[in-house]
Amino acid sequence: MAAAAAGWAVSGSGRWPALARCCWRAEMVAYFSAPAASNREAKQREDSSRRRGRTSQLIRSHIPPRTERMAVDQDWSSVYPTAAAFNPSSVPLPIRMGYPVKGGVPPAKEGNLELIKIPNFLHLTPPAIKKHCAALRDFCTEWPSALDSDEKCEQHFPIEIETVDYVSAGTSIRNPKARIVTLRVKLSNLNLDDHAKKKLIKLVGARYCKDTDVLTIIIDRCPLRRQNYDYGIHLLTVLYHESWKTEAWESEKTEEDMEEYIWENSSSQRNALATLLQIKATENVSNVTKEELLASEVVRNYRNSVIALKNEGETASNMSQYKESVKKLLNIQALP
Amino acid sequence: PATSAVSISDEPEILYRRLSLLVKGHDKAVLDSYEYFAVLAAKELGITVEKVHRPPKNIERLTLLKSVHIYKKHRVQYEMRTHYTCLELKHLTGSTAAVYLEYVERNLPEGVAMEVKKTKIEKIPEHIQEPVWDTLPQVEETEVKS
Repeated sequence: MAAAAAGWAVSGSGRWPALARCCWRAEMVAYFSAPAASNREAKQREDSSRRRGRTSQLIRSHIPPRTERMAVDQDWSSVYPTAAAFNPSSVPLPIRMGYPVKGGVPPAKEGNLELIKIPNFLHLTPPAIKKHCAALRDFCTEWPSALDSDEKCEQHFPIEIETVDYVSAGTSIRNPKARIVTLRVKLSNLNLDDHAKKKLIKLVGARYCKDTDVLTIIIDRCPLRRQNYDYGIHLLTVLYHESWKTEAWESEKTEEDMEEYIWENSSSQRNALATLLQIKATENVSNVTKEELLASEVVRNYRNSVIALKNEGETASNMSQYKESVKKLLNIQALP
Repeated sequence: PATSAVSISDEPEILYRRLSLLVKGHDKAVLDSYEYFAVLAAKELGITVEKVHRPPKNIERLTLLKSVHIYKKHRVQYEMRTHYTCLELKHLTGSTAAVYLEYVERNLPEGVAMEVKKTKIEKIPEHIQEPVWDTLPQVEETEVKS
């Protein structure tokens, strides 16, 4: 029996693998007429003659599965060291999977295609993961302990470069979205003065967020990620230096171009001063100069309230502040 | 024995403020197992896991004609469900990130895709520290050629 079994095994892998596969799940049939001769060639010729018609004779006797010989405390990571398909005779678990027959149970693990199809994690049990990580720990480095909070990272390393890697199965491992690079920097960390900051904000337009003071540049101009990163740094350098330059035509900046409201030399200042001078003239007070009026407290209050209204918008507190300052300016305390 | 394979180079270490792994798959059970594996691997390698969240699934449905020819009233409907899991890790160095990502990407199950978003932090380069106009020699203004 042993010789026959060995002969069958040899023929199964060598000469007639297809036949071996189709006879794999056949029922157990006693092999009666085993020739005593140990000649391999003669036996195979006899086997082929007998296998005509796909009869299920000549099947080796059923060997018990490996699971029955497994100890409970064996090293599982040597049974499944790498990702492998589910083999019911190698996994000593009574798993059932699939849709149950009416009034029945899900099918058993022997010959269950559903168990073979689904990816299994038998090679990644917690002890196996711990073993892998113990071996990998030598290649890891520590994060510097001085940079434990986000604020410290921001302070020492202001620029953030964001890149995305894509992993998927397909005909190609490349993904065209992988070349995109996003550069983020807070303008408060750059060495800019007032004029440079305003000019930079005007140059970049929508890429600057006023609430968080973050400039975001998304670069996907070049085909490679490193080229995009270099271009991003180049862009930042050019923007920085251009914003420090003052061109000749910048002196023609009008009131509409201003980012925030400036009270000096505005119509509001002119109107207020004109009104005050007229009041003083009717009261026949001696000529009060403009600088004295500007420096007086009522005009200061009025100036602050107007600036607050224009820059921050209309809020209840702003409006009440404006009302109070106008009342003080025109000296009309009677009104509520 | 293992330490002899480790070589330390003089290049400064890259610092990643955040590493965001978005894993996409059709089967939620596979994604849950993978998330357990990735979280355990991160803990073992000493990486802080900021948060693990599961964005809502996305179902794409198609309605097609059931028959090859005519029978417009009889259709068949297919749907493709994509489940997501997002793992956010904080404060990694370049070598740790390389080791972790290689380990985790090699053990990605079949049929599951992953997007890794790396946020690297850097110092401001020297050429942006000071405007260069102060240091350049004074050049005569040339006429702008129109």
